[in-house]
Amino acid sequence: MKSKIINWIDQRFPLTSFVEHDLTGYPTPRNLSYWWNFGFLAGFVLVLQVVTGIFLAMHYKADVSLSFDSIQHIMRDVNYGWLLRYMHAMGASAFFFVIFVHMARTLYYGSYRAPRELLWWTGQGLLLLLMATAFMGYLLPWGQMSFWGATVITNLFRATPFFGDQVVIWLRGDFTVGDATLSRFFSLHYLFPFIIIGAVIVHLVALHTVKSSNPSGIDLAAKDNIPFHPYFTIKDLYGLGLFLMLYSVFVFFIPDSLIEPANNIPANPMMTPNHIVPEWYFLPFYAILRSVPNMVGGVVAMGVSVIIFAFMPYLDRSRIPGGARYRPIYRIQFYLFMADMLVLGFVGYYPPTNQSILIGQIATLCYFGSFILVPFISKVEERWLIKRGLPPEVMALIESEKHEKSNKGDKL
Amino acid sequence: MENEALSNSDRRDFLVKLTSVVGGAGVAATCVPFVASMNPSSDVLAKAETEVDLTGIPPGGLRTVAWQGKPVFILRRTPDEIKEAQASNGGFDPQPDSQRVKNPEWLVVIGVCTHMGCVPNKEGPGWTCHCHGSQYDDSGRVTRGPAPKNLEVPPYHFVSENKIVIGKAA
Amino acid sequence: MKKLMMILASCLIATSVMASEAELKTVKVGHDVQTLERGVDAVMTNCHSCHSLKYITYRDLVVAGVDAKKVDAWRGDQPLSAPLLSQMSAADAAQAFGIAPPDLSLMAKAREGGANYVYSYLLGYYTGPDGVTGNHYYPPTKMPDILGVSTAPQDQQAKIQDTAHDIVSFLSWASDPHADERIRLGYYVMAYLVVLTTLLYLVKKRVWSKLK
Repeated sequence: MKSKIINWIDQRFPLTSFVEHDLTGYPTPRNLSYWWNFGFLAGFVLVLQVVTGIFLAMHYKADVSLSFDSIQHIMRDVNYGWLLRYMHAMGASAFFFVIFVHMARTLYYGSYRAPRELLWWTGQGLLLLLMATAFMGYLLPWGQMSFWGATVITNLFRATPFFGDQVVIWLRGDFTVGDATLSRFFSLHYLFPFIIIGAVIVHLVALHTVKSSNPSGIDLAAKDNIPFHPYFTIKDLYGLGLFLMLYSVFVFFIPDSLIEPANNIPANPMMTPNHIVPEWYFLPFYAILRSVPNMVGGVVAMGVSVIIFAFMPYLDRSRIPGGARYRPIYRIQFYLFMADMLVLGFVGYYPPTNQSILIGQIATLCYFGSFILVPFISKVEERWLIKRGLPPEVMALIESEKHEKSNKGDKL
Repeated sequence: MENEALSNSDRRDFLVKLTSVVGGAGVAATCVPFVASMNPSSDVLAKAETEVDLTGIPPGGLRTVAWQGKPVFILRRTPDEIKEAQASNGGFDPQPDSQRVKNPEWLVVIGVCTHMGCVPNKEGPGWTCHCHGSQYDDSGRVTRGPAPKNLEVPPYHFVSENKIVIGKAA
Repeated sequence: MKKLMMILASCLIATSVMASEAELKTVKVGHDVQTLERGVDAVMTNCHSCHSLKYITYRDLVVAGVDAKKVDAWRGDQPLSAPLLSQMSAADAAQAFGIAPPDLSLMAKAREGGANYVYSYLLGYYTGPDGVTGNHYYPPTKMPDILGVSTAPQDQQAKIQDTAHDIVSFLSWASDPHADERIRLGYYVMAYLVVLTTLLYLVKKRVWSKLK
């Protein structure tokens, strides 16, 4: 009976071949480490956020006079409303945590290198969409942090040439962040996740075209690939179990650790809290914004700091595969960059003092400096490493790439 | 390799089955809060019971209160009205008056016409529904169609002589 | 290396920023019904004439286990579903104090330091050398020293601290009434996840052992 139905479908829709080609039989490098679990986790958190969000939206009211009350209604009166809200709020942080690890892995192992540029760029687009969605969602509780966060971030658009002020008013639909802003943020906060789902599909199509990268950086021979199912389904599920434990600690035991106390005060357009900070996942970028003494310059620097990752495939000129694995200098650079992000995060959290501004400025220079230096360092490092000698399979790969290139040159 | 897998297959099957059952139970349990969140919230449930203070309703007077969002008629009947109500068994849906009240002086019925759900008006003795002309007597029993049934008596009880709680029978 | 130094430097700044704030007293809030009942009693006596708790209804108190007779006395002729609004209107209060007294429903979560802050603040009153009452933790406060910390003799201070503890316990409950339920459920969820993850690990090991 079951096979009959599937046969019927298969004659009209490539169900079995799709499942075999892209899910169960999808060839996956056998040497993937647990750092390759985070893409699956991001997909899981996306689903979690959509589901909890839909249920929260059944009780939430997007109206400046009602939204704060409706959150309290969810927290106090709705059956398990507190659970849904904490799952969603912690889910936002979990999403960024997972995505940041996913990106760090890509940077460490050089997974952005050809032919995976489009995969990396669609990921970049997803990051931007995720940031926009998180930012708009943060306004919805209509607390003090929500209001002033939205005020500050919409004000960034004053840096737009010629029409700055008009653009800000257009974004808000009001002279300050108000009812119109709240309603449109809710509308878009509900819409964007579905755009994200679409973009994830594009990301996955790109992935399945070029296949997963792996820690060695060398494209493996067919014999070293194993089917996705059952090997990686179970590995991903085990990783999911570990992730859920960490997530549940936050949801059930310390949910308020990531919610600023000031957001438990209803928005008051007449009074800014003494210390406004963005959510932790925006802190490094916020620190870069504050480090530039010029308004337009700060906004541009912050924008560039997010976009600049997209240039990595061209900035990294080394032909040695495997990212940091075979490249000691790049590895040092990677860890220094991570440390720099942490410093920026700290600077972003604390109120600006002369000292912290100076540290922030140095860290900002280091941030951009590490990108600008990549082309030189990677080239010098490559020469040094080839001279020193590399594992034969790596050398073979470099040789074959050189060959390919010269062949193409002949044809031209 | 094949043989090894075979020799372990029993244990593996059990382990996989156990894990699937445990995981499935977790997914099912996770659904509970989501489904429960769509049930009436505690502030809505709080409206399931309405406390009504009866002082201030004169003999022959009617008060309409909201209970679970529906109108409830509370009629303080005069001795004549009580006598009349007890004398008959109603019309299409016969029922003695004694089954419809806890205290003959107080009639408590849901003010929703059993025909199409309009709210009947108090007119002379009894109620008339203006939507389709149904009539009810002072016991809330239907005396003229098209309504098929008597006005419904909600669960209620007296907490004191002058106070009732609608929504709970005892 | 330079960057490592910077991390250390920023950590030093972080600790120095924290240390510059007035040290908060720590309080261990009570979760039992008796503490809650004493707390709500103290709030109704000391706070409720000026402060509302608009997200708490009288029914919530009954459901939480506070004596129904007491609740009836507090609510008077208001229905059980009425919120605990203050006896003073916000406009009158603003006239009297120059600022509307904040709602207390979320107070234990709405300040940096949470319950510890509220506890420290309530006990933070002192009489300055000029005879003016001040507060160590929130100098611009307009609220009078309602518990009498700054004027009470030494032997009554312990009692005042108990009252402050009860008030803070009640306000903590009010700011997050499902906290106990949440933590209880959390233990079950964690236990379940440990079992599930162990099983998944075993299956994973078994599946991968076929690869040689």
